[in-house]
Parts: sequence; structure tokens; C-alpha cells
Amino acid sequence: MTDTTPTALSDLRVLDLTDLKGALCAKLLGDMGADVIKIEPPGGDAMRTIGPFLDGTPHRDRSLLFWFYNTSKRGITLDIHQPAGREIFTQLAAQSDVVIESFAPGTLASLGLGYDELKRLNPKLVLTSISPFGQTGPYRDYHSSDIIAEALGGMIYTNGAADDPPLSALGLQAYHSASFFAAIGTMSALWARDTLDEGQWVDISIQEAATAAVEHVAPFYHQGMGVQTRQGSLHWSRYFRVARCRDGYVMHCTLGDWTSLVEWVKGDGKEQDLGEPQWEDQMYRRDHAEHLFEVLDEWATDYSVAELMEGAQLRRIPYAMVRPLEALAEDPQLNARGFFSPVEHPELGRTFRYPGGPFFFTATPWRISRRPPLLGEHNEEVYRQELGMSEQRVLELASAGVI
Amino acid sequence: MEQGRRRALAGIRILDFTWVVAGPVATRILADQGAEVIKIERRDSLDLGSRRGGFTGNLFRGKESTVINMADPRGREIARQLVAVSDVVIDNFSARVMHNWGMDYESIRQLKPDIIAVSMSGFGHTGPQKDYVSYGPTLQALSGYTLLMRHPGKGPAGWGYSYADMSGGYSGALAVLMALWHRKRSGQGQFVDLSQFETISSVVGPALLDVLVNNATLAPFGNRSQEAPAAPHGVYRCAGIDRWCVITIFSESEWQAFCRVLGNPTWTREARFTTLASRLEHQDALDRYVEEWTQQHTPEEVMRRLQPAGIAAGVVANGEDLDRDPQLRLRGYWAQVNTPEGDEVVLDGTPVKLSATPGYVAAPGPLLGEQTDTVLRRLLGYSAEHLAQLKAERVVASHAEIMAERQAVS
Repeated sequence: MTDTTPTALSDLRVLDLTDLKGALCAKLLGDMGADVIKIEPPGGDAMRTIGPFLDGTPHRDRSLLFWFYNTSKRGITLDIHQPAGREIFTQLAAQSDVVIESFAPGTLASLGLGYDELKRLNPKLVLTSISPFGQTGPYRDYHSSDIIAEALGGMIYTNGAADDPPLSALGLQAYHSASFFAAIGTMSALWARDTLDEGQWVDISIQEAATAAVEHVAPFYHQGMGVQTRQGSLHWSRYFRVARCRDGYVMHCTLGDWTSLVEWVKGDGKEQDLGEPQWEDQMYRRDHAEHLFEVLDEWATDYSVAELMEGAQLRRIPYAMVRPLEALAEDPQLNARGFFSPVEHPELGRTFRYPGGPFFFTATPWRISRRPPLLGEHNEEVYRQELGMSEQRVLELASAGVI
Repeated sequence: MEQGRRRALAGIRILDFTWVVAGPVATRILADQGAEVIKIERRDSLDLGSRRGGFTGNLFRGKESTVINMADPRGREIARQLVAVSDVVIDNFSARVMHNWGMDYESIRQLKPDIIAVSMSGFGHTGPQKDYVSYGPTLQALSGYTLLMRHPGKGPAGWGYSYADMSGGYSGALAVLMALWHRKRSGQGQFVDLSQFETISSVVGPALLDVLVNNATLAPFGNRSQEAPAAPHGVYRCAGIDRWCVITIFSESEWQAFCRVLGNPTWTREARFTTLASRLEHQDALDRYVEEWTQQHTPEEVMRRLQPAGIAAGVVANGEDLDRDPQLRLRGYWAQVNTPEGDEVVLDGTPVKLSATPGYVAAPGPLLGEQTDTVLRRLLGYSAEHLAQLKAERVVASHAEIMAERQAVS
């Protein structure tokens, strides 16, 4: 029952040496068809120890964090810090198109596996390095985490209320942004490879990726418009704000079809001064957002979340329910488009729904081609069948802790 | 200076119908790596401030603004001629618009069989809500971010900006590159139906899998760790007005080093703070002690003192901090770009750094219609007479004419 639909990246082999910082990058390539081999230390990637876990029970093959980031990858164990492990890694790298890594800068070089060495081994190889601050600069060796990269990249200063501390993103969005830019860099380098006849080194700084993921902070500052601040749920544009209604919260939108919105409010007799002509001017609405939202908040209280969203969308006004994340599971639009993917875990005798991909390709669909690997699941396949090692050799390597 | 060197995506031509914000982000990422981006615009396009720099300049930089009247059949014919010489057509309209122009995938593949069409709509081209309208904040609310991003005991805050537009943008750029890779190997183009709602839902992360697999009910994370367990882990008030730092401590050795930097105050030896498990249990109390210390220092001092001790700490950067950040500066993140008017604008650079074919911002944002003539001459070989006629008939427009017309009206 192998799915024979063509995939976009089926001719690419990728070695994935990343941890949590870059795991999404390799997943993005794997879910589009690349043959991704995830290389874990013999004890397992640290992601396997991080929750949430299936049924809440910690187990190295049941971390949902590991699952989320490692779909469509084969998994082998290999200690590249040992000479025998390095030797095996170079054999794999010689046959690969891409190596993605997220070690501290300088680590691969200290193992004799830096870009210059890898290039000698395989001139067409693309090495993609994802690190907290990049491979150069005064912060190169600084320590980091997702929230620190978010903070230093300007992703959180403008989140939250003015009198509350700045607020982190939901999800590891500095890592995610870095992974997307790393995948873009990898594909760009592969594209250029045909012209250059050689690969190159892609250097992704998670801090820079975070900086590039904020639309307004740096651009407004550099335009002389000063420092953007936090203003609660009010969007910087001042056209969106959260309101409480009868059974929850809704996201107002005062951009777009003002006439339809104000007619609706008038119909309920709640327009106060909003019928006056100056409100038709988008800039006036922006400059008087506080009053505007006070009036709209009062109007919204009588409605349910669903009534507001449906009513607004019928009038082509982009209102939205401020929903719990849990609502995505039953969302009619996501389900109608087949966003969620059933993924079979034969070792558990169960099939789970996984979140889908970022885009829908019609000819070469995004798909999870295999569930996340169990620890060392493909050692046999890769070492015996593909590298041609003897059974004896594999046993020796295992007992020496190399694989 | 990197300017002038061959970039990775040189030779790829993109016909760009996108409008704010996700679409332009996608094409700017590709433009920075050398793709030729022809930006099709309306003559009545509303400019939000300068187009050279700032918000708009950052979205449009390195692209060629070409004003074509798509409401006129002759304008649509020009667009069809441009499709025939392009690799990619990208839009972020709902399904109807491109279809009404005869620019939907099924129509344009007749003009160029291996064309790649990427449509970045809010909800996708299929499904019961395909015609719903959205902006970034709409999608963030629907996908759970807004409600979950809050401090304990406070109302939902969510993002102060449209992260959904940014994630939609880099997904769009990646989709283009993956589709091009497939075309290079197979000779086949295709249609990519990118729903920005799906993109932002795809990057929520393990929390959504927890809902799907464990039927989990989620509580807001606030500034607590969403990666490995860590305590302290948070945003702490520092000396100064609205100054903040972040400290994240994952391991026992980091905790010991942290205590040493603080001078081993008595509270660090309290039983409730001795192990990670107990620190996690008493995080609120721990945070109060940490903040007593951070409030005596600027965020830069906190970072300078903790980092050499091996502790992950950083400044919560605002716009000014970003501009002066030594790391961003030293790596040349900011792009200083000269404008034809003789000014210089500072734009965000590219976070995609390639060693052999480095990307760069080749030009500031274009004025409306600035390249109409050059594009139509270069790509379609239009003569001066032909262009003059098309302008007289209001099928296309150059920047000078649009400005003259606007001045005459006002």
C-alpha cells in the first residue's frame, strides 16, 4: 500500500543532525519527499525526553514533541564524537545532498567535519547550520533558548498589555522561523548548485530569523517612527482588538467594509456616534481606535462568538472567534481540506491524527510518509543494506557505543 | 560589498500579484536571493507612507513595480504575455479574483505549460469557508494563539502584530522553491493552494498534537518553558523604564553558575529551590527572587554578567535595541540602501545567509509604476510608441503619469 504519488523532493537525501532548534527544517524537507535520515546519539535525541507524552507517560518513543518534529524521517543512532562514528558519518555525507545541523558553532569543525572538510569529501554537499546567533559575531558562543532568541529578535517586546511583562509566543516560533529560513536557504543553495557545480554553507542565525519574523518593529524604528510598544490585544495597526461577548471572545476588525459593519451595528441601535461620516475614513478609525472599540465592545456583548463571526463573514468583514486551540481539531474548514493526517503507529497498534503541512501542493502533495522513527529503527537498513556492513560489524559498533 | 554578485535565484522570474502582507513577504525573500520579481499593481494603489523604506519599503524592496489595469481586457492580455515568459505566478487573493481575470492556474497553464502558480489565500481554494475573509489577527484568533497567549489571570493578549502574515510569507517562499525543484527534475509545473490558516495552524507545534492525540486541554504557557523543563525561565523586570530581560536555566550546572553570579544569596539555598523539580514547583516564588536581582541591573548588564558564566540570558529588544544590537550589526543584518533620490533607507536584511551566493537587498522599495516601462520593454519588447498608446488608453501607467494625475485631482 505504498503511496506512489510523486513527491517534490524525492531525489534528495538529507542527513539531519539537528536537535529541537532545527528539527522542523528537516521535517519540512521530509514531508515533501526528501529521504531524511535523522542521526541521533546512541542514547537518543534529547527531544525524546521532553513532554507532552502519549497518555502522559514518559517514554523515549512516546514524546509528542519528538513526534511532531520528526515525521517522514528515518532514524539511526551514531556517535559522531567517536572516530569510528565520524568515519561512518563521512560515508553517509559522501552520498548525501544536504547536511542540516544545529550544534554550537565550531563543533563540527572541532570533529574534523567542518564545511571545508565536508566540501573536500563531497563538493556538491549543502551544509545548513542553524545556531542561536549564527557562525560569526560577538554573540556567536552565547547561550540561548527559544524565548531568548524571540526576545533578542524583537518578537516579544510588543506582545501583552502595557503594564504586564512582554509575552512569549505560543509555540517555539523563533526555532520555527529559523527552520523555515533554513529550508529556504537549503533549497536556494540546491538550486544554485546546478549552476555553480558545487554546494555551499547556509548560515542561519535564530536571532536573525526572529527579527525577520516581525513586520513592524524594525521597519517603523528605521523610518523614524520610534519604538513600538505593547498595547494588549490591540494590533499595532489599531484595526484589530479582542472583545468579550456573551460566551467568549471575538476579534474585531475595523479595516475593510466599514459600511456593512456600521449598518449592522445601527440595525441593533448600538451605533452611538459611529454613524457620523468621519468614521468612513480609515485613517480616522485608526486614530480614534479606543473610542471606536469601546462602542463596538458594548455592541458585541449581546452576541455569541459564533453569531459575530458568521454575521461578519456573511458581510465580508474579517471578524474571527478567539478560540481555544482545541477547536482546531474539529474545525470544519481544516477537516474539509484534509489538513489533519492519519499516521499509523504499528508498534502501538494505533493511528493518530497529526497536524498537516504549511501548504497544499496539487501535483506533489505534502504528506507524512512515515511516522517518527523509534530509537535506532533504521540502523539495520542503513548500516547493513545501504552501507553494506556485516552483521558482525554492526554488533561491534553497537557494543562499542558508536551506534 | 556583496552588491552585484550573482545570487542563488538569478534567472527565476516571478509574476507577483500579491498585496499586503504575507504575499509580499514571500516574494521579498525570493527577491533577496536574486529572483526577478515583477510586481503588478493598480494605479490607485494606496501607499502607506514612503514606498522606499519603512513598512512598505521592507515589503516591496528589490521588486519592479509595474502598473497594469487588470480590469481592461488589454491589460489582462499584457499579463498573459508576462505569464508566458515567467516561471512563477503568485497571488494572495481569494479564489475568485484570479479566476475572474482568467489568471487561474487552469487558464495560465495554457500559456505556459510548466508554470508554477502559488495562491496564498486566507483559507484555501476549497472547503466550506474558502470565501471567508481574513487578516493576520483573524487567523491568529482562529488558530488558538490569541486566547492562549496571556498572562495568568489576565485576558487574552495574543500577538501585537501579524505573525501569521510572516509565517505565511516564508511558507510561500519555500513552496515556490520546492515547486521549482520538482519542475527542474520533472519538467512539470503545478498549482500550490496555500491556505494561510493552515500555515499558521501547522506551526503551533506539539501542543496541537497533544490535543489530537491525548485530547489535552491546554493552559496558557505565559513565559514558562515550552521546550525542556527550565526554572528560572521567564521575562524579568530590569532597571530603567520598561526594560526587561529573559533568563532560562535548564541544567543543574547552569543553576549553580547562576547562584554564583548572584553571590550565592541565602534564598538560593532554600530547600524548595535545590532541584529543578522543586524549582519548577515553586516558580512564582523563585521568579520574585530573580526579579529582585534583575531590577538592580539593566538588561544589558544581566546579559553581560550571565552569558560568560554559561547562562542563557538576553535583552527583551525593542526597535532601538534591535538597531544597536552588536550581533545583528556585526553580521550585517541591516541593509543600508541608497534611493534614486539620493537618500539612504535602512531595511531589514535577509536571515538566509549563503556562503557562495550571498543574498542582498538590491534596491529599495519601488515607487508605484516606477518600472512599468522598463519591464514591458525588457520582457515583451514593447516600443515607445506602443507604450505611449497603452498609457494614453489607461491600460498601463508609469510613475510620472500617476503622480501628475494625482496632483491634478488634488
